[in-house]
Amino acid sequence: MTVQARIIEATELSKTFPGGVVALDRFTLSVGRGEVVVVIGPSGSGKSTFLRCLNGLEEVDRGTVVIDGIPLDHHRKNRLLIRREVGMVFQSFNLFPHMTVRENIDLAQVRVRRKSREEAAETTMGLLRKVDIQEKADRYPHELSGGQQQRVAIARALAMNPKVMLFDEATSALDPEMIGEVLEVMRTLAAEGMTMVVVTHEMGFAREAGDRIVFMEAGRIVEEGETERFFGSPRQERTKVFLRQIL
Amino acid sequence: MNAFSRGSAPLRKAAWIDYGRFLLLVGLAVWLLALGTRGLGYPWQWYRVPAFLFSADNGIWTAGPLLRGLAVTLQISLLSLVGSLLFGLTAALLRLSSSFSARALARGYLELIRNTPLLIQIFFVYFVLSPVLDIGAFASATLALSLFEGAYAAEILRAGIVSLHRGQWEAAHSLGLGTFDTYRHVILPQAVRRVLPPLAGQAISLVKDSALVSTIAIYDLTMQGQKIVAETFLAFEIWFTVAAIYLVMTFGLSFLVRGLEKRMNGTPLHGAGGFG
Repeated sequence: MTVQARIIEATELSKTFPGGVVALDRFTLSVGRGEVVVVIGPSGSGKSTFLRCLNGLEEVDRGTVVIDGIPLDHHRKNRLLIRREVGMVFQSFNLFPHMTVRENIDLAQVRVRRKSREEAAETTMGLLRKVDIQEKADRYPHELSGGQQQRVAIARALAMNPKVMLFDEATSALDPEMIGEVLEVMRTLAAEGMTMVVVTHEMGFAREAGDRIVFMEAGRIVEEGETERFFGSPRQERTKVFLRQIL
Repeated sequence: MNAFSRGSAPLRKAAWIDYGRFLLLVGLAVWLLALGTRGLGYPWQWYRVPAFLFSADNGIWTAGPLLRGLAVTLQISLLSLVGSLLFGLTAALLRLSSSFSARALARGYLELIRNTPLLIQIFFVYFVLSPVLDIGAFASATLALSLFEGAYAAEILRAGIVSLHRGQWEAAHSLGLGTFDTYRHVILPQAVRRVLPPLAGQAISLVKDSALVSTIAIYDLTMQGQKIVAETFLAFEIWFTVAAIYLVMTFGLSFLVRGLEKRMNGTPLHGAGGFG
């Protein structure tokens, strides 16, 4: 992989939470343009923390994050630049409850991308069609099902036209019958060539859409590999045990 | 409120008894008052009161001193409400800021204001600050009330802001919104809606506290009352009237807010919007 082909470079990340829980322990991972990396591991293994360090929602104690050539450092400007290019989808949707679906998706386009209202509205409707929820444009989040809310949240992140999308257990808070519709949108995105880092427990999705699987525990990578190889012939004993438990 | 409209027959009966007791108490209070004033030999002269409210000459209505005073009270209250929200919001944001000096500044303001009497603050602004700033009594009164109520509004607003889920901040940040845009479009619209009831309570306190500005020669409702009593000795009639006018104002405010809350009930986080 050439340097240019890497869009995310996380090097030697370490993070200890107050109270002594080690979330990341010299964790290094790079992601190529258009690659879909699925991060799996037991809860508390640092998966979400890693994701949140990539757009500065969490500060690392040591180590460097570079996104598309921009270092995520203490400069406010760089952090804002990176956040524009990195979309994030949360477990708990985090839609803005006082705004309609349309307003949720318009907001950052107008305030951050400085688009005109008309331009934003056009992008928004296009994205709502894409996640198949255009008829709810003028509803408020609490009037939507969980699956619909999460699809709106994905559309909201996509509205920034990001280079990278981060998914932090995007389906974990959903009722089982709604997981499919959200994974469907994620699969489409992956197929379109979006660079994605996905933290999930959905092994079906990982197998189908992932280019590479990263298995982590206690803030370190236990094993990583190309999807077929990873599931077909895991090398580490710990990986085998984990996969037996989860599959 | 709805004691009669809901509940079974025994409950309704209990409500009637309750209301009966209430009327009995009110009657007792009126009787005691009547007894007391008779003992004093107080000559009630209610017929003189309307002249202080308004006068009608040849079909032209003119506001009397009490209504003119009411206008001043309303003016001061309204201006101070705006001022207190400005001070309150600023102090709340400073207290939540990551800068140590901003937090210390806000903290100092809050502690200073909340631990000294309002009357002293009014005197301080009027006798010490106003010559320095070259402002009049009316501006001094408005400034003092704004500073005082602002300290309480700040704590209410801060509580509203910190009550929001962290995910709201994270979602806004992940979209690249800065602190200002996040506050303006995401955090404050939700926080203000949550703390509307205590904020309204603060507005009611403001109306009542405004009576203290009569001490720095502002002819508000209280000062006009004082002046009339000094000239006519109609102490009972005038103070009853003044109190009733304050009551009407604060009750009006409460009803307004209750209506507002009811309209937002069930649809807790949208409705009027306006912040969008």
